[in-house]
Amino acid sequence: MNSRNISYSSRLIEEFKASFLKDLRSYFRYPAWVIGEFLSTPLWFFFFALGVTLFAPVASTTSENGPSTGFSYFFFGFLFIILFSTSVWGVGQSVRNEQESGTLEQFFLAPANHATLILGRWARIFMTDALIIGYITLLLYFIGGTTVAILNPPLFLLSVGLYELSLIGFGLFMAGLTIRIKAYNSIGNAIFFGYMIFTGALFPINVLPQPIRYFSMLIPFTYLNDLMRHAALGTTMILPETWEYVVSVLAAVGMLIIGFVAFNMIEQNARVKGSIATS
Amino acid sequence: MQALAAIFWKGVKHHVRYPGEFVIFLLLPFLFTFLILGMGTAIAGGNASTYFAARTGTTNIVIYEILGSAVWMTSWVVIEDVGTAIRDEQIKGTLEQNFLAPVRRFTLLVGLSLTDVVITAALFLVVVGVSVAVVLPSGFLTIIPAFLTLLLGLIPLFGIGFLFAGFVVRFKEPYIFIQIINLVFATLTGTYYPVTFLPYWVQLLSGVLPQTYVIEDMRRIVIANQTLVNLYGSVFILLALALAYPILGYAVFRRIEKRASVTGEFSKY
Repeated sequence: MNSRNISYSSRLIEEFKASFLKDLRSYFRYPAWVIGEFLSTPLWFFFFALGVTLFAPVASTTSENGPSTGFSYFFFGFLFIILFSTSVWGVGQSVRNEQESGTLEQFFLAPANHATLILGRWARIFMTDALIIGYITLLLYFIGGTTVAILNPPLFLLSVGLYELSLIGFGLFMAGLTIRIKAYNSIGNAIFFGYMIFTGALFPINVLPQPIRYFSMLIPFTYLNDLMRHAALGTTMILPETWEYVVSVLAAVGMLIIGFVAFNMIEQNARVKGSIATS
Repeated sequence: MQALAAIFWKGVKHHVRYPGEFVIFLLLPFLFTFLILGMGTAIAGGNASTYFAARTGTTNIVIYEILGSAVWMTSWVVIEDVGTAIRDEQIKGTLEQNFLAPVRRFTLLVGLSLTDVVITAALFLVVVGVSVAVVLPSGFLTIIPAFLTLLLGLIPLFGIGFLFAGFVVRFKEPYIFIQIINLVFATLTGTYYPVTFLPYWVQLLSGVLPQTYVIEDMRRIVIANQTLVNLYGSVFILLALALAYPILGYAVFRRIEKRASVTGEFSKY
Protein backbone atom coordinates (compact mmCIF):
# COMPACT_ATOMS: atom_id res chain seq x y z
CA MET A 1 0.00 0.00 0.00
CA ASN A 2 2.81 2.29 1.01
CA SER A 3 4.89 1.60 -2.09
CA ARG A 4 1.78 2.11 -4.24
CA ASN A 5 1.35 5.53 -2.66
CA ILE A 6 4.98 6.38 -3.32
CA SER A 7 4.77 5.30 -6.96
CA TYR A 8 1.55 7.32 -7.40
CA SER A 9 3.24 10.38 -5.91
CA SER A 10 6.36 9.97 -8.04
CA ARG A 11 4.16 9.55 -11.13
CA LEU A 12 2.36 12.78 -10.28
CA ILE A 13 5.69 14.54 -9.82
CA GLU A 14 6.88 13.21 -13.19
CA GLU A 15 3.68 14.38 -14.87
CA PHE A 16 3.99 17.78 -13.25
CA LYS A 17 7.63 18.04 -14.31
CA ALA A 18 6.78 17.08 -17.89
CA SER A 19 3.95 19.57 -18.03
CA PHE A 20 6.14 22.33 -16.57
CA LEU A 21 8.97 21.67 -19.04
CA LYS A 22 6.54 21.53 -21.96
CA ASP A 23 5.14 24.91 -21.02
CA LEU A 24 8.60 26.37 -20.48
CA ARG A 25 9.66 25.21 -23.95
CA SER A 26 6.53 26.67 -25.56
CA TYR A 27 7.15 29.93 -23.72
CA PHE A 28 10.73 30.33 -24.90
CA ARG A 29 9.83 29.28 -28.44
CA TYR A 30 8.37 32.76 -28.98
CA PRO A 31 11.10 35.17 -27.82
CA ALA A 32 9.12 38.21 -29.00
CA TRP A 33 6.46 37.37 -26.41
CA VAL A 34 9.07 36.93 -23.69
CA ILE A 35 10.69 40.28 -24.48
CA GLY A 36 7.26 41.86 -24.86
CA GLU A 37 6.14 40.63 -21.46
CA PHE A 38 9.28 41.97 -19.78
CA LEU A 39 8.85 45.34 -21.50
CA SER A 40 5.11 45.84 -21.25
CA THR A 41 4.69 44.95 -17.56
CA PRO A 42 6.94 47.76 -16.22
CA LEU A 43 5.42 50.10 -18.82
CA TRP A 44 1.94 49.46 -17.41
CA PHE A 45 3.35 50.13 -13.95
CA PHE A 46 5.03 53.43 -14.82
CA PHE A 47 2.07 54.57 -16.88
CA PHE A 48 -0.39 54.17 -14.00
CA ALA A 49 2.12 55.34 -11.40
CA LEU A 50 2.51 58.65 -13.27
CA GLY A 51 -1.28 59.03 -13.42
CA VAL A 52 -1.62 58.46 -9.69
CA THR A 53 1.21 60.90 -8.93
CA LEU A 54 -1.18 63.74 -9.83
CA PHE A 55 -3.02 63.08 -6.59
CA ALA A 56 -0.06 62.81 -4.27
CA PRO A 57 0.79 65.69 -1.92
CA VAL A 58 3.68 63.79 -0.38
CA ALA A 59 4.34 60.09 -0.66
CA SER A 60 1.89 59.02 2.00
CA THR A 61 -1.49 57.37 2.18
CA THR A 62 -4.41 58.19 4.39
CA SER A 63 -4.06 57.25 8.03
CA GLU A 64 -6.68 54.51 7.81
CA ASN A 65 -4.27 52.53 5.68
CA GLY A 66 -1.66 52.35 8.41
CA PRO A 67 1.99 53.35 8.11
CA SER A 68 2.33 52.52 4.45
CA THR A 69 3.48 54.80 1.71
CA GLY A 70 1.30 55.54 -1.29
CA PHE A 71 3.95 54.15 -3.58
CA SER A 72 4.22 50.82 -1.72
CA TYR A 73 0.44 50.52 -1.67
CA PHE A 74 0.36 50.93 -5.43
CA PHE A 75 3.37 48.64 -5.92
CA PHE A 76 1.71 45.77 -4.06
CA GLY A 77 -1.51 46.39 -5.94
CA PHE A 78 0.41 45.95 -9.14
CA LEU A 79 1.99 42.77 -7.80
CA PHE A 80 -1.47 41.35 -7.04
CA ILE A 81 -2.57 42.15 -10.58
CA ILE A 82 0.43 40.40 -12.11
CA LEU A 83 -0.27 37.32 -10.01
CA PHE A 84 -4.01 37.38 -10.66
CA SER A 85 -3.48 37.63 -14.39
CA THR A 86 -1.72 34.26 -14.00
CA SER A 87 -5.00 32.76 -12.98
CA VAL A 88 -7.14 34.34 -15.66
CA TRP A 89 -4.85 34.57 -18.69
CA GLY A 90 -2.37 31.86 -17.86
CA VAL A 91 -3.93 28.93 -16.05
CA GLY A 92 -7.46 29.57 -17.27
CA GLN A 93 -6.44 29.88 -20.86
CA SER A 94 -4.24 26.76 -20.88
CA VAL A 95 -7.10 24.48 -21.91
CA ARG A 96 -8.21 26.94 -24.57
CA ASN A 97 -4.68 27.09 -26.00
CA GLU A 98 -4.53 23.29 -26.25
CA GLN A 99 -7.99 23.33 -27.79
CA GLU A 100 -6.92 25.84 -30.45
CA SER A 101 -3.66 24.01 -31.16
CA GLY A 102 -5.66 20.82 -31.62
CA THR A 103 -3.65 18.98 -28.94
CA LEU A 104 -6.27 18.79 -26.20
CA GLU A 105 -7.59 15.39 -27.25
CA GLN A 106 -4.08 13.86 -27.21
CA PHE A 107 -3.51 15.31 -23.77
CA PHE A 108 -6.80 14.04 -22.39
CA LEU A 109 -6.17 10.59 -23.89
CA ALA A 110 -2.79 10.31 -22.16
CA PRO A 111 -2.75 8.23 -18.94
CA ALA A 112 -1.98 11.33 -16.85
CA ASN A 113 -3.81 13.45 -14.31
CA HIS A 114 -5.48 16.22 -16.28
CA ALA A 115 -4.96 18.82 -13.62
CA THR A 116 -1.19 18.45 -14.10
CA LEU A 117 -1.48 20.27 -17.43
CA ILE A 118 -2.81 23.22 -15.54
CA LEU A 119 -0.44 22.91 -12.58
CA GLY A 120 2.57 22.72 -14.90
CA ARG A 121 1.47 25.89 -16.59
CA TRP A 122 0.81 27.56 -13.24
CA ALA A 123 4.35 26.70 -12.10
CA ARG A 124 5.89 28.13 -15.27
CA ILE A 125 3.87 31.33 -14.99
CA PHE A 126 4.63 31.66 -11.29
CA MET A 127 8.32 31.42 -12.14
CA THR A 128 8.13 34.06 -14.88
CA ASP A 129 5.90 36.29 -12.71
CA ALA A 130 8.48 36.12 -9.93
CA LEU A 131 11.22 37.07 -12.41
CA ILE A 132 9.17 40.01 -13.73
CA ILE A 133 8.34 41.25 -10.23
CA GLY A 134 12.00 40.96 -9.20
CA TYR A 135 13.09 42.77 -12.34
CA ILE A 136 10.61 45.63 -11.81
CA THR A 137 11.73 45.96 -8.18
CA LEU A 138 15.35 46.24 -9.30
CA LEU A 139 14.39 48.69 -12.04
CA LEU A 140 12.62 50.91 -9.51
CA TYR A 141 15.65 50.80 -7.27
CA PHE A 142 18.06 51.75 -10.06
CA ILE A 143 15.81 54.45 -11.54
CA GLY A 144 14.60 56.20 -8.42
CA GLY A 145 16.39 54.50 -5.51
CA THR A 146 13.00 53.19 -4.37
CA THR A 147 13.07 50.13 -2.15
CA VAL A 148 10.14 47.93 -1.23
CA ALA A 149 10.26 46.67 2.35
CA ILE A 150 8.16 43.84 3.80
CA LEU A 151 7.29 44.31 7.46
CA ASN A 152 6.46 40.71 8.32
CA PRO A 153 8.20 38.31 5.88
CA PRO A 154 6.91 35.00 7.37
CA LEU A 155 3.30 36.23 7.32
CA PHE A 156 3.84 37.61 3.83
CA LEU A 157 5.12 34.25 2.57
CA LEU A 158 2.17 32.51 4.19
CA SER A 159 -0.26 34.95 2.60
CA VAL A 160 1.39 34.57 -0.82
CA GLY A 161 1.07 30.78 -0.39
CA LEU A 162 -2.63 31.08 0.40
CA TYR A 163 -3.11 33.47 -2.50
CA GLU A 164 -1.39 31.06 -4.89
CA LEU A 165 -3.59 28.18 -3.69
CA SER A 166 -6.65 30.26 -4.41
CA LEU A 167 -5.22 31.23 -7.80
CA ILE A 168 -4.75 27.57 -8.74
CA GLY A 169 -8.33 26.87 -7.69
CA PHE A 170 -9.68 29.86 -9.54
CA GLY A 171 -7.51 29.06 -12.56
CA LEU A 172 -8.90 25.50 -12.65
CA PHE A 173 -12.41 26.90 -12.49
CA MET A 174 -11.60 29.29 -15.35
CA ALA A 175 -10.00 26.45 -17.33
CA GLY A 176 -13.23 24.50 -16.92
CA LEU A 177 -15.14 27.55 -18.05
CA THR A 178 -13.14 27.68 -21.28
CA ILE A 179 -14.36 24.18 -22.11
CA ARG A 180 -17.95 25.34 -21.76
CA ILE A 181 -17.78 28.94 -22.94
CA LYS A 182 -15.79 29.81 -26.03
CA ALA A 183 -15.92 33.62 -25.73
CA TYR A 184 -13.22 33.47 -23.09
CA ASN A 185 -11.60 36.83 -23.77
CA SER A 186 -14.69 38.88 -22.92
CA ILE A 187 -15.30 36.94 -19.69
CA GLY A 188 -11.60 37.10 -18.80
CA ASN A 189 -11.56 40.87 -19.29
CA ALA A 190 -14.69 41.34 -17.20
CA ILE A 191 -13.27 39.24 -14.34
CA PHE A 192 -9.90 40.95 -14.55
CA PHE A 193 -11.36 44.44 -14.30
CA GLY A 194 -13.80 43.29 -11.64
CA TYR A 195 -10.83 42.07 -9.62
CA MET A 196 -8.98 45.38 -9.98
CA ILE A 197 -11.98 47.43 -8.91
CA PHE A 198 -13.81 45.38 -6.29
CA THR A 199 -11.16 43.43 -4.35
CA GLY A 200 -9.09 46.30 -2.99
CA ALA A 201 -6.17 45.36 -5.21
CA LEU A 202 -5.24 48.89 -6.28
CA PHE A 203 -7.13 50.93 -3.71
CA PRO A 204 -8.76 50.10 -0.37
CA ILE A 205 -12.37 49.03 -0.53
CA ASN A 206 -13.34 51.87 1.80
CA VAL A 207 -12.96 54.16 -1.24
CA LEU A 208 -15.94 52.38 -2.83
CA PRO A 209 -19.53 53.45 -2.09
CA GLN A 210 -21.16 51.55 0.79
CA PRO A 211 -23.36 49.09 -1.17
CA ILE A 212 -20.47 48.13 -3.47
CA ARG A 213 -18.27 47.62 -0.42
CA TYR A 214 -20.61 44.84 0.76
CA PHE A 215 -20.23 43.18 -2.61
CA SER A 216 -16.43 43.45 -2.28
CA MET A 217 -16.60 41.75 1.08
CA LEU A 218 -18.25 38.74 -0.53
CA ILE A 219 -15.23 38.14 -2.79
CA PRO A 220 -12.57 35.85 -1.26
CA PHE A 221 -9.73 37.68 -3.03
CA THR A 222 -10.55 40.83 -1.05
CA TYR A 223 -9.33 39.13 2.16
CA LEU A 224 -6.31 37.52 0.51
CA ASN A 225 -5.21 40.87 -0.93
CA ASP A 226 -5.82 42.51 2.41
CA LEU A 227 -3.79 39.90 4.29
CA MET A 228 -0.83 40.19 1.92
CA ARG A 229 -0.86 43.96 2.13
CA HIS A 230 -1.13 43.84 5.92
CA ALA A 231 1.85 41.47 6.08
CA ALA A 232 3.90 43.68 3.78
CA LEU A 233 2.91 47.19 4.85
CA GLY A 234 1.13 46.84 8.17
CA THR A 235 -2.13 48.25 6.83
CA THR A 236 -5.28 47.96 8.93
CA MET A 237 -7.17 44.74 8.25
CA ILE A 238 -10.77 44.64 7.04
CA LEU A 239 -11.78 42.05 9.67
CA PRO A 240 -10.48 41.52 13.21
CA GLU A 241 -7.06 39.85 12.92
CA THR A 242 -8.04 36.30 13.93
CA TRP A 243 -11.10 36.37 11.73
CA GLU A 244 -9.07 37.58 8.78
CA TYR A 245 -6.65 34.64 9.12
CA VAL A 246 -9.52 32.16 9.39
CA VAL A 247 -11.41 33.65 6.43
CA SER A 248 -8.24 33.78 4.29
CA VAL A 249 -7.35 30.12 4.96
CA LEU A 250 -10.93 29.01 4.32
CA ALA A 251 -11.11 31.11 1.15
CA ALA A 252 -7.85 29.69 -0.23
CA VAL A 253 -8.59 26.04 0.58
CA GLY A 254 -12.23 26.41 -0.44
CA MET A 255 -11.33 27.92 -3.82
CA LEU A 256 -8.78 25.18 -4.45
CA ILE A 257 -11.31 22.42 -3.73
CA ILE A 258 -14.09 24.12 -5.69
CA GLY A 259 -11.70 24.66 -8.62
CA PHE A 260 -10.71 20.97 -8.77
CA VAL A 261 -14.28 19.75 -8.42
CA ALA A 262 -15.65 22.21 -10.98
CA PHE A 263 -12.93 21.39 -13.51
CA ASN A 264 -13.51 17.62 -13.19
CA MET A 265 -17.27 18.00 -13.42
CA ILE A 266 -17.13 20.23 -16.49
CA GLU A 267 -14.59 17.94 -18.14
CA GLN A 268 -16.74 14.84 -17.53
CA ASN A 269 -19.78 16.64 -18.82
CA ALA A 270 -17.90 17.78 -21.94
CA ARG A 271 -16.73 14.19 -22.58
CA VAL A 272 -20.31 12.99 -22.54
CA LYS A 273 -21.51 15.78 -24.80
CA GLY A 274 -18.47 15.56 -27.08
CA SER A 275 -17.72 19.26 -26.69
CA ILE A 276 -14.14 19.01 -25.38
CA ALA A 277 -12.44 19.79 -28.64
CA THR A 278 -14.99 22.21 -30.04
CA SER A 279 -13.24 25.48 -30.51
CA MET B 1 -14.33 54.39 -55.40
CA GLN B 2 -16.13 51.04 -55.63
CA ALA B 3 -13.07 49.25 -54.29
CA LEU B 4 -12.76 51.77 -51.48
CA ALA B 5 -16.43 51.31 -50.56
CA ALA B 6 -16.05 47.51 -50.64
CA ILE B 7 -13.03 47.57 -48.33
CA PHE B 8 -14.80 50.00 -46.04
CA TRP B 9 -17.94 47.83 -45.78
CA LYS B 10 -15.87 44.70 -45.26
CA GLY B 11 -14.24 46.38 -42.25
CA VAL B 12 -17.57 47.60 -40.88
CA LYS B 13 -19.06 44.09 -41.24
CA HIS B 14 -16.12 42.62 -39.37
CA HIS B 15 -16.69 45.00 -36.45
CA VAL B 16 -20.43 44.35 -36.46
CA ARG B 17 -19.82 40.59 -36.48
CA TYR B 18 -17.66 40.81 -33.33
CA PRO B 19 -19.45 43.42 -31.20
CA GLY B 20 -17.73 42.19 -28.02
CA GLU B 21 -14.46 43.86 -29.06
CA PHE B 22 -16.19 47.18 -29.59
CA VAL B 23 -18.00 46.94 -26.27
CA ILE B 24 -14.67 46.34 -24.53
CA PHE B 25 -13.19 49.42 -26.21
CA LEU B 26 -16.24 51.37 -25.02
CA LEU B 27 -15.88 50.19 -21.44
CA LEU B 28 -12.11 50.44 -21.07
CA PRO B 29 -11.93 54.28 -20.89
CA PHE B 30 -14.46 54.28 -18.04
CA LEU B 31 -12.72 51.44 -16.23
CA PHE B 32 -9.26 52.99 -16.50
CA THR B 33 -10.61 56.37 -15.39
CA PHE B 34 -12.32 54.72 -12.43
CA LEU B 35 -9.09 52.95 -11.46
CA ILE B 36 -7.04 56.16 -11.60
CA LEU B 37 -9.72 57.99 -9.63
CA GLY B 38 -9.91 55.20 -7.05
CA MET B 39 -6.16 55.05 -6.59
CA GLY B 40 -5.95 58.85 -6.43
CA THR B 41 -8.70 59.03 -3.82
CA ALA B 42 -6.97 56.32 -1.79
CA ILE B 43 -3.77 58.34 -1.78
CA ALA B 44 -5.09 61.87 -1.32
CA GLY B 45 -8.35 61.16 0.52
CA GLY B 46 -10.66 64.21 0.58
CA ASN B 47 -7.95 66.41 -0.94
CA ALA B 48 -7.76 64.47 -4.20
CA SER B 49 -9.26 67.20 -6.37
CA THR B 50 -7.17 69.93 -4.69
CA TYR B 51 -3.87 68.16 -5.36
CA PHE B 52 -5.06 67.22 -8.83
CA ALA B 53 -5.97 70.84 -9.61
CA ALA B 54 -2.58 72.06 -8.38
CA ARG B 55 -0.93 69.97 -11.10
CA THR B 56 -3.43 70.13 -13.93
CA GLY B 57 -5.31 73.39 -13.40
CA THR B 58 -8.71 71.71 -13.15
CA THR B 59 -10.74 69.98 -10.47
CA ASN B 60 -12.74 68.10 -13.09
CA ILE B 61 -10.86 64.83 -12.71
CA VAL B 62 -13.38 62.66 -14.57
CA ILE B 63 -13.47 64.73 -17.77
CA TYR B 64 -9.69 65.27 -17.71
CA GLU B 65 -9.03 61.53 -17.48
CA ILE B 66 -11.86 60.36 -19.73
CA LEU B 67 -10.62 62.57 -22.59
CA GLY B 68 -7.16 61.03 -22.28
CA SER B 69 -8.67 57.53 -22.09
CA ALA B 70 -10.91 58.09 -25.12
CA VAL B 71 -8.06 59.34 -27.31
CA TRP B 72 -5.89 56.44 -26.14
CA MET B 73 -8.60 53.95 -27.10
CA THR B 74 -9.12 55.49 -30.54
CA SER B 75 -5.39 55.33 -31.11
CA TRP B 76 -5.42 51.70 -29.89
CA VAL B 77 -8.19 50.80 -32.38
CA VAL B 78 -6.39 52.46 -35.29
CA ILE B 79 -2.96 50.97 -34.59
CA GLU B 80 -4.44 47.52 -33.97
CA ASP B 81 -6.74 47.56 -37.00
CA VAL B 82 -4.46 49.13 -39.58
CA GLY B 83 -1.25 47.69 -38.12
CA THR B 84 -2.43 44.11 -38.02
CA ALA B 85 -4.72 44.17 -41.08
CA ILE B 86 -2.09 42.76 -43.44
CA ARG B 87 -1.02 40.15 -40.90
CA ASP B 88 -4.64 39.07 -40.35
CA GLU B 89 -5.11 38.60 -44.09
CA GLN B 90 -1.83 36.65 -44.12
CA ILE B 91 -3.03 34.32 -41.36
CA LYS B 92 -6.45 33.85 -42.97
CA GLY B 93 -4.77 33.10 -46.30
CA THR B 94 -6.61 35.91 -48.09
CA LEU B 95 -3.71 38.33 -48.53
CA GLU B 96 -2.67 36.99 -51.95
CA GLN B 97 -6.24 37.35 -53.29
CA ASN B 98 -6.39 40.93 -52.04
CA PHE B 99 -3.02 41.82 -53.49
CA LEU B 100 -3.86 40.18 -56.82
CA ALA B 101 -7.06 42.20 -57.15
CA PRO B 102 -6.72 45.25 -59.42
CA VAL B 103 -6.75 47.61 -56.47
CA ARG B 104 -3.94 49.92 -55.39
CA ARG B 105 -2.35 49.21 -52.02
CA PHE B 106 -3.05 52.77 -51.01
CA THR B 107 -6.78 52.22 -51.62
CA LEU B 108 -6.61 49.10 -49.47
CA LEU B 109 -5.03 50.98 -46.57
CA VAL B 110 -7.30 54.02 -46.92
CA GLY B 111 -10.38 51.77 -47.03
CA LEU B 112 -9.30 50.18 -43.75
CA SER B 113 -8.70 53.62 -42.30
CA LEU B 114 -12.16 54.83 -43.30
CA THR B 115 -13.73 51.97 -41.35
CA ASP B 116 -11.77 53.11 -38.34
CA VAL B 117 -13.01 56.69 -38.75
CA VAL B 118 -16.54 55.37 -38.20
CA ILE B 119 -15.53 53.10 -35.32
CA THR B 120 -13.46 55.72 -33.51
CA ALA B 121 -16.13 58.38 -34.06
CA ALA B 122 -18.69 56.10 -32.43
CA LEU B 123 -16.24 55.36 -29.62
CA PHE B 124 -15.55 59.03 -29.03
CA LEU B 125 -19.18 60.12 -29.18
CA VAL B 126 -20.34 57.45 -26.74
CA VAL B 127 -17.47 57.73 -24.25
CA VAL B 128 -16.90 61.48 -24.27
CA GLY B 129 -20.50 62.40 -25.16
CA VAL B 130 -21.95 60.45 -22.24
CA SER B 131 -19.29 61.65 -19.80
CA VAL B 132 -19.64 65.33 -20.73
CA ALA B 133 -23.44 65.10 -20.74
CA VAL B 134 -23.41 63.69 -17.20
CA VAL B 135 -20.49 65.52 -15.57
CA LEU B 136 -20.32 68.81 -17.48
CA PRO B 137 -23.67 69.29 -19.24
CA SER B 138 -23.09 73.03 -19.73
CA GLY B 139 -20.11 72.23 -21.94
CA PHE B 140 -21.84 69.61 -24.06
CA LEU B 141 -21.48 71.53 -27.32
CA THR B 142 -17.70 71.69 -26.88
CA ILE B 143 -17.56 68.06 -27.93
CA ILE B 144 -18.05 69.25 -31.54
CA PRO B 145 -14.70 71.12 -31.82
CA ALA B 146 -13.14 68.37 -29.69
CA PHE B 147 -14.37 65.82 -32.21
CA LEU B 148 -12.93 67.89 -35.07
CA THR B 149 -9.57 67.80 -33.29
CA LEU B 150 -9.86 64.04 -33.06
CA LEU B 151 -10.63 63.76 -36.77
CA LEU B 152 -7.60 65.88 -37.61
CA GLY B 153 -5.46 63.77 -35.29
CA LEU B 154 -6.65 60.56 -36.94
CA ILE B 155 -4.91 61.40 -40.24
CA PRO B 156 -1.34 61.23 -38.86
CA LEU B 157 -2.41 58.26 -36.76
CA PHE B 158 -3.36 56.37 -39.90
CA GLY B 159 0.10 57.20 -41.25
CA ILE B 160 1.60 55.62 -38.12
CA GLY B 161 -0.71 52.64 -38.72
CA PHE B 162 0.68 52.25 -42.28
CA LEU B 163 4.17 52.32 -40.80
CA PHE B 164 3.33 49.48 -38.42
CA ALA B 165 1.56 47.54 -41.15
CA GLY B 166 4.91 47.50 -42.93
CA PHE B 167 6.87 46.51 -39.82
CA VAL B 168 4.42 43.73 -39.09
CA VAL B 169 4.91 42.28 -42.58
CA ARG B 170 8.64 42.33 -41.93
CA PHE B 171 8.86 41.21 -38.30
CA LYS B 172 5.61 39.24 -37.76
CA GLU B 173 4.38 38.88 -34.11
CA PRO B 174 2.04 41.87 -34.39
CA TYR B 175 0.05 41.53 -31.19
CA ILE B 176 2.78 41.94 -28.61
CA PHE B 177 4.36 44.61 -30.82
CA ILE B 178 1.07 46.54 -30.97
CA GLN B 179 0.58 46.17 -27.20
CA ILE B 180 3.96 47.69 -26.46
CA ILE B 181 3.45 50.49 -28.99
CA ASN B 182 0.06 51.33 -27.50
CA LEU B 183 1.54 51.44 -24.02
CA VAL B 184 4.41 53.63 -25.18
CA PHE B 185 1.92 55.97 -26.85
CA ALA B 186 -0.23 56.08 -23.72
CA THR B 187 2.80 56.90 -21.58
CA LEU B 188 4.25 59.53 -23.91
CA THR B 189 1.09 61.38 -24.90
CA GLY B 190 -0.11 62.38 -21.44
CA THR B 191 -3.15 60.14 -21.34
CA TYR B 192 -3.62 60.56 -17.58
CA TYR B 193 -1.24 63.41 -16.77
CA PRO B 194 0.25 66.49 -18.45
CA VAL B 195 3.26 65.64 -20.63
CA THR B 196 5.25 68.21 -18.62
CA PHE B 197 5.41 65.47 -15.96
CA LEU B 198 7.79 63.55 -18.18
CA PRO B 199 11.55 64.16 -18.36
CA TYR B 200 12.53 66.79 -20.92
CA TRP B 201 14.02 64.35 -23.44
CA VAL B 202 10.88 62.22 -23.27
CA GLN B 203 8.79 65.32 -23.96
CA LEU B 204 10.67 65.69 -27.24
CA LEU B 205 9.36 62.26 -28.24
CA SER B 206 5.86 63.25 -27.09
CA GLY B 207 6.09 66.27 -29.40
CA VAL B 208 6.17 64.11 -32.53
CA LEU B 209 3.05 62.11 -31.60
CA PRO B 210 -0.29 63.51 -32.79
CA GLN B 211 -2.20 62.16 -29.78
CA THR B 212 -0.24 64.51 -27.50
CA TYR B 213 -1.78 67.52 -29.25
CA VAL B 214 -5.22 65.95 -29.60
CA ILE B 215 -5.45 65.18 -25.87
CA GLU B 216 -4.12 68.58 -24.81
CA ASP B 217 -6.39 70.48 -27.23
CA MET B 218 -9.45 68.49 -26.22
CA ARG B 219 -8.83 69.24 -22.56
CA ARG B 220 -8.47 72.94 -23.34
CA ILE B 221 -11.62 72.94 -25.47
CA VAL B 222 -13.89 70.94 -23.15
CA ILE B 223 -12.57 71.95 -19.73
CA ALA B 224 -11.13 75.43 -20.31
CA ASN B 225 -13.67 76.52 -22.97
CA GLN B 226 -11.03 77.47 -25.52
CA THR B 227 -11.75 77.47 -29.25
CA LEU B 228 -9.87 75.90 -32.14
CA VAL B 229 -8.86 79.40 -33.20
CA ASN B 230 -7.12 79.94 -29.84
CA LEU B 231 -5.30 76.67 -30.35
CA TYR B 232 -4.07 77.46 -33.86
CA GLY B 233 -0.47 76.57 -32.96
CA SER B 234 -1.18 72.96 -32.17
CA VAL B 235 -3.72 72.76 -35.02
CA PHE B 236 -0.93 73.71 -37.44
CA ILE B 237 1.35 71.11 -35.90
CA LEU B 238 -1.40 68.51 -36.33
CA LEU B 239 -1.82 69.56 -39.97
CA ALA B 240 1.92 69.18 -40.52
CA LEU B 241 1.89 65.74 -38.88
CA ALA B 242 -1.17 64.85 -40.98
CA LEU B 243 0.93 65.47 -44.05
CA ALA B 244 4.17 63.91 -42.85
CA TYR B 245 3.04 60.61 -41.28
CA PRO B 246 0.87 59.25 -44.11
CA ILE B 247 3.63 60.00 -46.65
CA LEU B 248 6.31 58.45 -44.45
CA GLY B 249 4.12 55.51 -43.41
CA TYR B 250 3.06 54.66 -46.94
CA ALA B 251 6.63 54.99 -48.28
CA VAL B 252 7.92 52.59 -45.61
CA PHE B 253 5.02 50.20 -46.20
CA ARG B 254 5.64 50.16 -49.98
CA ARG B 255 9.35 49.58 -49.51
CA ILE B 256 8.83 46.66 -47.13
CA GLU B 257 6.03 45.29 -49.31
CA LYS B 258 8.21 45.35 -52.45
CA ARG B 259 11.00 43.62 -50.59
CA ALA B 260 8.56 41.03 -49.22
CA SER B 261 7.29 40.33 -52.75
CA VAL B 262 10.86 39.53 -53.85
CA THR B 263 11.85 37.46 -50.80
CA GLY B 264 8.53 35.63 -50.51
CA GLU B 265 8.01 37.06 -47.03
CA PHE B 266 4.23 37.25 -47.49
CA SER B 267 3.83 33.51 -47.43
CA LYS B 268 5.70 33.10 -44.15
CA TYR B 269 4.04 33.24 -40.76
